[in-house]
Amino acid sequence: MTAVDELSTTLSALADPTRRAILHRLAHGEATVNELAEPFDISLPAVSRHLKVLEQAGLISRSRNAQWRPCRLEASPLKEVADWVAYYRRFWGESFDRLDVHLRAMQGLEGTGQPDDNSS
Amino acid sequence: MTTQANTVPTEEPIITTTRVFDAPRELVFRAWTDPEQLAQWWGPHGFTNPVCETDPRPGGLWRIDMQGLDGTIYPNKGQYLEVVKPERIVYTDVVDEGAEAWGDTPPPSALHTVTFANEGGKTRITTVTRLGSVAARDAMVEMGAIAGWTQSLDRLESLLAAA
Repeated sequence: MTAVDELSTTLSALADPTRRAILHRLAHGEATVNELAEPFDISLPAVSRHLKVLEQAGLISRSRNAQWRPCRLEASPLKEVADWVAYYRRFWGESFDRLDVHLRAMQGLEGTGQPDDNSS
Repeated sequence: MTTQANTVPTEEPIITTTRVFDAPRELVFRAWTDPEQLAQWWGPHGFTNPVCETDPRPGGLWRIDMQGLDGTIYPNKGQYLEVVKPERIVYTDVVDEGAEAWGDTPPPSALHTVTFANEGGKTRITTVTRLGSVAARDAMVEMGAIAGWTQSLDRLESLLAAA
């Protein structure tokens, strides 16, 4: 496949801390460009560029009607990323963390030295 | 956090992981092969495994359906190629390409070799995951880096679910 697939587009849009922070903000509700720019030490045009990338990746949409064109989060591409990453998370320690907890339980040991044991 | 080391050689399409568990080898081996135990710990934090079937002998099949917090089912299956109790398991790992969870981009299939070594009563597990190509391996490593974001993605997802 030579065409850039949707997942790759989503991932490259997510590969930037400012854009991820913008998505976090939008998870709480719609916001205008000015509101989104507020917490960042970057110019409005720079924020607009980030929004354009997010919009092209289908991660946000912008109202056509209202003059201030509020941005809103579009969840479905994120869901695709979350699904895909779920597969790989098996290989990167989380399963092993849970195995460690399981083995301790099997031996009747309390979880020691694992303050972040949170598997259920 | 318990130390876990991942190794990624340049020329071979493999990823190696090793970690020591404070439990005897027989117990650790059982946790990998007994379906009831495997279902207790397989998969990312918070996931459950509503279907977990194993047949740990050469040629035997396994199947695990992981279920995410939002109810999405992630089916995996494969075949045991080698089972040497309590030392080594070799198995294939094939995703169900038709599964809704993967969309248009199912993850690649893999061959896993898991060895259980006795280290003074503790057990060192070493896994070698072999992908079809270096490109597929590199994609997996990239996903590993992305997995570091998943905590925030999880939070984002739960916010979305609540919205």
